Amino acid sequence: MSTVPRDPFILDRPTGRRLRARDAIVCVFVAALLLLLLEGESIRSTGEKMDSGIQRTAVLAVGKPAGWLAERLPLADAVDSVTARLSPDDDLTGEGGFNAAPVAGPAAAAGGGTGGGASAPITTDSFDPTQLGVKTARLARLATLLVTGDSLAQPLDEQLARRLAGDGVRTVRDAHLGTGISKTDIVDWGLLSTQQATDRKPDAVVMFMGANEGFPFPGAGGKKIECCGPDWAVVYATRARRMMDTYRRDGAARVYWLTLPLPRDARRQEIARAVNAAIEVAAQPYRSQVRVLDMTSVFTPGGRYRAAQDVGGRETIVRQPDGIHLNDAGANIARGIVLTRLRADFASLGG
Amino acid sequence: MVFPTVQFAVFFPIVLALSWALMRRQSVWKPFMLSASYVFYAAANPLFCVMIAAVTLGNQACAQLIHRSADARVRKRLVVLAVALNLATLGVFKYYGFFATEINGLLDSAGLGLPLPLAAIALPVGISFIIFQAISYTVDVYRGLIQPASTIDVALYLSFFPHLVAGPIVRAREFIPQLAAPRDPRKVAVGAGVALIVIGLVKKVAIADFLAREIVDPVFGVPQAYAAPDVLLASYAYAVQIFCDFSGYTDIAIGLALLMGFVFPQNFDRPYRAASFGEFWRRWHMTLSRFLRDFLYIPLGGNRGGRWRTIRNLMITMVLGGLWHGAAWGFVLWGAIHGTALVVEHQFRGKVKLPRWLAWLVVFHIVVLAWIPFRAPDLGLAGSYLARLGEWGPATLWTAPVVIVTFLVIALQLAPARPMDALRVRFERLPPVALGASMATVILLVAATVSSQGVPPFIYFSF
Repeated sequence: MSTVPRDPFILDRPTGRRLRARDAIVCVFVAALLLLLLEGESIRSTGEKMDSGIQRTAVLAVGKPAGWLAERLPLADAVDSVTARLSPDDDLTGEGGFNAAPVAGPAAAAGGGTGGGASAPITTDSFDPTQLGVKTARLARLATLLVTGDSLAQPLDEQLARRLAGDGVRTVRDAHLGTGISKTDIVDWGLLSTQQATDRKPDAVVMFMGANEGFPFPGAGGKKIECCGPDWAVVYATRARRMMDTYRRDGAARVYWLTLPLPRDARRQEIARAVNAAIEVAAQPYRSQVRVLDMTSVFTPGGRYRAAQDVGGRETIVRQPDGIHLNDAGANIARGIVLTRLRADFASLGG
Repeated sequence: MVFPTVQFAVFFPIVLALSWALMRRQSVWKPFMLSASYVFYAAANPLFCVMIAAVTLGNQACAQLIHRSADARVRKRLVVLAVALNLATLGVFKYYGFFATEINGLLDSAGLGLPLPLAAIALPVGISFIIFQAISYTVDVYRGLIQPASTIDVALYLSFFPHLVAGPIVRAREFIPQLAAPRDPRKVAVGAGVALIVIGLVKKVAIADFLAREIVDPVFGVPQAYAAPDVLLASYAYAVQIFCDFSGYTDIAIGLALLMGFVFPQNFDRPYRAASFGEFWRRWHMTLSRFLRDFLYIPLGGNRGGRWRTIRNLMITMVLGGLWHGAAWGFVLWGAIHGTALVVEHQFRGKVKLPRWLAWLVVFHIVVLAWIPFRAPDLGLAGSYLARLGEWGPATLWTAPVVIVTFLVIALQLAPARPMDALRVRFERLPPVALGASMATVILLVAATVSSQGVPPFIYFSF
């Protein structure tokens, strides 16, 4: 058996001296120790964001003591100040964050933005003209479309951008993978939506999010509001409503909020049902400007998951193998539904 | 599990220390390393471990039967069966959906209502690499290049975590002999390993992901929204992105293996300095090139059998090489472009002599052009992308960092290797503590460039 390969091996080129295995371990552990001291808090926070399981347990077993240690040393702040300029993320500061005003409890959450426990006034904004059978007041021109959300927003965002490029629409694609309304440690959607609306001033916003929901909300007295009962839905709807209000910009913009096609996994279905119910409730005061687009019945009629469905007379797979996301064919169906509503709302798109 | 993640940063130091602690006791070390590799793979999806275990046992059974049989016909049937089973595994996981959709389309258009059933099948990460290595083992046993190894050695060969998900495609006769005896703890290329890990991290996180975010993904996603200057720059940027993404992964894989005492073959050698397509394929994804050469091109007859046979063999090899990347017509077209270029080069060899700079210019731009269908979501969009090259307009994405990074990486490939090698060797000679501190510093710096959404998967994970 030949042990001398004919092909180039990595050590054929000039290289440094050979050391001992002990040196390899020293080298790796020096690096690991420095990272624990300097990035302990990041390691802990990464672990906390992970789904429960062995990986999370292992990362937290290292991250918790490292985070504790890092908090007591000034090193992490020094590193942050040196490396802050390298971060590609927008600086999410300012008002509008969900964490800025902790939810005291479901009752308070429900009243958030409507004057505490007082009965919210019903205005004409609460009615979708199409439901009333009256003519929709169309906006003149769709100049900027924001397509945002979590990973569900992809590849819908690309498909909409391609389709609308010919109509002179500037499509801003701003999907934030792994984020959620109930998961503020990566992105606080309260802050982000405020920044998106302020910076981009979109005429229309397409929102498709919900793949990473189900995390507990902070409640009164340090208690957690666990998914997926009415208490959890109240907080979710309150946050979603605030985002809808931000995006609609006092009626200057239209919002298209897509409900979730049910996922394959039973636990995730429970979360999706709570999210969908919350979206419906959240949109109620702004029905004249916020359209809730029903993806649930399109992709999972009767509440039953299916990977394939009839598209143009042919059975076609519309879901990703993960049982959560839409594939290109599925996103194409969603795109058609969004475009139909956009055409109804914007004169510049014809229709 | 992805290399540049916190999970892997927790996993690797523990595995490295235990690996060297157990190295002398091979009866313990091998099950330990096999378990560690399966844990690494199970992080993506535990069910995928069933697939890799089945591939291991199936190939080992065939290899043993081939070795024991004295009848040439039986041996041939067995190797054909093994290769067919491997390709069937690949076919089911990777190509079923693609071919079912295409065949259903054909049946539909012919008015035949006999559609193949559709299924959304999860693609096991790195399945193409695993299957190619399994084929390499069984075929090398058939060819008498190696003896059948023990089942645990074969299992370790196929699942060894540094090369598990995106190569390099290590041949059985390169890896299995390294399992014959404990690795020598007095001769570990620590400096070379750390240098490769550091270079790989910079390539992946600081260059490839940066270019993807800033220019490649926006332009390839919606080419209609951009004019020629942006589309042109995105083409060069993608050439740089895919090189840095893929070679970054293999640099890290090779570096990790070196720290554990194992040596892998080289996978990239400054491919964009190639002045011919033959040279390009000797520098780009070298372990795939030699696999295709040894297991496809030469068995098809290679360049023996006349001009037309050579052309046929080159085209079959390159088109199948393209299809290996995934079930999409864009990959087929990419392979066909390279196949055609190799054929043309072969036909004009010795008849036309271009100055090296001109040959480089032509080869480099055809390589960049071929990446367009490879990257575009479908052929229609690849067409739209190319059409935009003729639409003049503003350069909205030409920022200084994007331009500098793109052309610096290309320029470094053209620069003489010696100064860079000298710099690397000086780094590799640092004492272990300094090497560790340097690695930590680079990790901190590249981590700062990662967005809140984390490190995107390596491009070749899906192949």
